[in-house]
Amino acid sequence: MNQESIIRVQIEAPTLADLRAFADEIKPDLGCRATPRKRDGSFSVDAYLPETQLEVARRSRSAARVTIRILENATAVGRERQKEVGERNRFSVRGEVPRGLGRKE
Amino acid sequence: MAYLNVSEIESALQNLATAYPATTELLRAPNLSHEGRQVRVLRIGTKSSDEVDGILILGGVHAREWVPPDALISLAADLLEADKLGTGLGYGNKTFAASEIRKVMESLNLFVCACVNPDGRLYSQTNEPLWRKNRRPHPGGGDCVGVDINRNFDFLWDHLAKFAPDSGVSASEDPCDRNVYRGPSAASEPEVRNVVWLFDTFPRIRWHLDVHSAVPVILHSWGSDQNQTIEPNQTFLNSAFDGARGRLNDPEYGEYITPGDLEIAETLSTRMNDAVKAVRGSNYGVEQAYGLYPTSGASDDYAFSRHFADPSKTKVYGFTVECGDSFQPPWSEAEEVIREVSAGVIAFSLGAAGE
Repeated sequence: MNQESIIRVQIEAPTLADLRAFADEIKPDLGCRATPRKRDGSFSVDAYLPETQLEVARRSRSAARVTIRILENATAVGRERQKEVGERNRFSVRGEVPRGLGRKE
Repeated sequence: MAYLNVSEIESALQNLATAYPATTELLRAPNLSHEGRQVRVLRIGTKSSDEVDGILILGGVHAREWVPPDALISLAADLLEADKLGTGLGYGNKTFAASEIRKVMESLNLFVCACVNPDGRLYSQTNEPLWRKNRRPHPGGGDCVGVDINRNFDFLWDHLAKFAPDSGVSASEDPCDRNVYRGPSAASEPEVRNVVWLFDTFPRIRWHLDVHSAVPVILHSWGSDQNQTIEPNQTFLNSAFDGARGRLNDPEYGEYITPGDLEIAETLSTRMNDAVKAVRGSNYGVEQAYGLYPTSGASDDYAFSRHFADPSKTKVYGFTVECGDSFQPPWSEAEEVIREVSAGVIAFSLGAAGE
């Protein structure tokens, strides 16, 4: 199983066509649905790239038209978050009933 | 607090059903996961499933998206407790009156499938955090495990035949694809068949919300091509357009949607977004599910397509909520996203209930 670290990056391009050309060439993991956001006249999307693919992406033909900004090592972050997962079963003892985060008012 | 593990989700649903017997029904989905796990669905509402319309709400389709299942458990607990106490609910700066909570509970059934993909969630929470698919074993016993559940629904599933070769459709026929392997056949996966079973068994389900993360954004139909309201022959059912479907900004094909359906989809999406925004100012935005690329085999498109493929089936409006801006935020941030999702779903429900 591939355990290579996955790096979360933000890809920004001046046009949707530039963003699409880069994604066509690199074929990154763009999450559930590739939904580009328009911000300050440019288009951006988050992508998840294995470390080795990140270098390939930077050297790609279409990379000149995009800015690749590293956001985080998503694998390392995920491993940290695994420490925030319940270890036992909070609801198995005495049939404890879950309560939601909403204010009852 | 901490993220719920798979056992806790299961126990939480059972305990809610036990604590609120008059307003819940715990349903057992018919298909066990590949690793033998039972998926349960909590029906919430004061009326029976054939008396009022329903909303099917999914979480945990994609394993690495940890917030949605926790959000749906929290939402279910809130609705049930508020209904019992006769109170309203507050999330950040968004409040719902007691009469609105009562309206949701009396006018609708919410079918909450908090964790569609328990095998994947367990693997993501204990092994590879960025695991997305289910845990279908490779038929040859190799390392290539899993199917993307949200590419396995029977909607333009055969992307190689149905989409233009240069459309870039987000799906793969390669079992070793890390993220978007479509599976060996449409609805091959038990998790998908469980969702189909819910639609088939409860024909009064008229809305479908698939809660994912993260962008954030609220998506409505269609995801297969850019919408158009002029040419009714350009639909997913028309094989004459196979091979031409899915291109960005291409005049040859656009997915047909009636102006009325489009207005309903946009209105409900906007209503949801307004409630999300009221919580703490996050503007998810509303967009068509066709983004940079088309998508095949997704649950929202499948839900909406059923009626057009077979007019005897109920028309179900399908939506995807991409909540928050991270798959696995720190728990403190996850709580804020849970409040946003809760407010959004309640506002959506009120819209569905005709408020």
